[in-house]
Amino acid sequence: MGPEELRAALAPALGPSLVGVEPFEGFAARVRFRREGATELFRAVHGLGNTHLSMVAGIDWVDHREVLYIVWSDAAKQYTLLSADLPADDPHIETASGVWPSANWHERETWELVDITFDHHPDLRHLLTPDGYEFRPLLRSFKIHEPEELEVKVRHV
Amino acid sequence: MSASPSVRPAPVARSMTLPPESLRLEGELPMAGAAVPFVEIEALRAREFIPAAKEALGSLISNRSRETLIGPVFNWAGRNSLFPLHWGLACCAIEFAAAFGARWDAERFGVVARSSPRQCDLMIVNGTVTWKVAHKLITLYEQMPEPKWVIAMGNCATGGGPFRTAYSVVPGVDKLVPVDVYIAGCPPRPEALLDGILTLEKLIRERKE
Ligand code: SF4
Repeated sequence: MGPEELRAALAPALGPSLVGVEPFEGFAARVRFRREGATELFRAVHGLGNTHLSMVAGIDWVDHREVLYIVWSDAAKQYTLLSADLPADDPHIETASGVWPSANWHERETWELVDITFDHHPDLRHLLTPDGYEFRPLLRSFKIHEPEELEVKVRHV
Repeated sequence: MSASPSVRPAPVARSMTLPPESLRLEGELPMAGAAVPFVEIEALRAREFIPAAKEALGSLISNRSRETLIGPVFNWAGRNSLFPLHWGLACCAIEFAAAFGARWDAERFGVVARSSPRQCDLMIVNGTVTWKVAHKLITLYEQMPEPKWVIAMGNCATGGGPFRTAYSVVPGVDKLVPVDVYIAGCPPRPEALLDGILTLEKLIRERKE
């Protein structure tokens, strides 16, 4: 399924939440969407046969953040990239774990490392860092700490 | 003509009450600076050995004070049967596994990896310790019965290694538990691990209770 067919299939359900569908190397297409239509988009993309969520990731672009989903279709043998821009001062988006259960842990990781909140996530806890860990290490504003300095902050959380 | 087969003498049937001469004090063994009586127990079968050993220990305890006898004996037994915890934290665990494989065979030193901390007296921290796993590491350490020892294997366990300034790495496991022996290397070779274990055995020999 090429970008044009994908746009035709997604546009009715999404309306203005669909920002654009463009070609992307190695993928069926790159779908840009607004976070308001996230759940509709996940359902529609899942309904097109993309039954496997390969990964969720986040990027800190300093002036905004971007959340990425890579989904796989067994029938088409193709990946599709979904991405949404989020404002840096309020980065949150609806969870995809209702549509793809495997999003659960990926979103926990994205939340703790890039500080993107996933609304209505069933279990938004730390995955790789200790409970109560106050840093968001993959943000560009994170400074490398001296180990002793970090220890004081994370030891007794 | 074939040589007549050698005939093994039939085991002598013994009663469970041991004749007094089956326990013999046979000189002294120099252990930890103290001369420790050496007991030879004449017993042909395991079920005879247990009451004999009980009796021998009992007579030794009554003759000697606990400090001069039991400490060295337990030290000697403990350092020759160190049981490390069978776990792996990062890449050093591969060398740990190799040290217990056929080629280096740590078991010839009486070192047998056990899967339960309650059966262990040695924790070999073989890899990067993150703050996430720190609490579990302390729990495992506390589950091990005393006396117990810790070997920090590799640069990561010693001081954080290449990840010293990473956002979630403990800069040395001695921040969490007391470490007896540090082994340098990234990773240390199995020989280095064996050397560390033998160094620990020396330390235990010199230990005073
Ligand atoms: S010391 Fe080197 S080999 Fe050992 S766990 Fe650390 S990085 Fe891996």
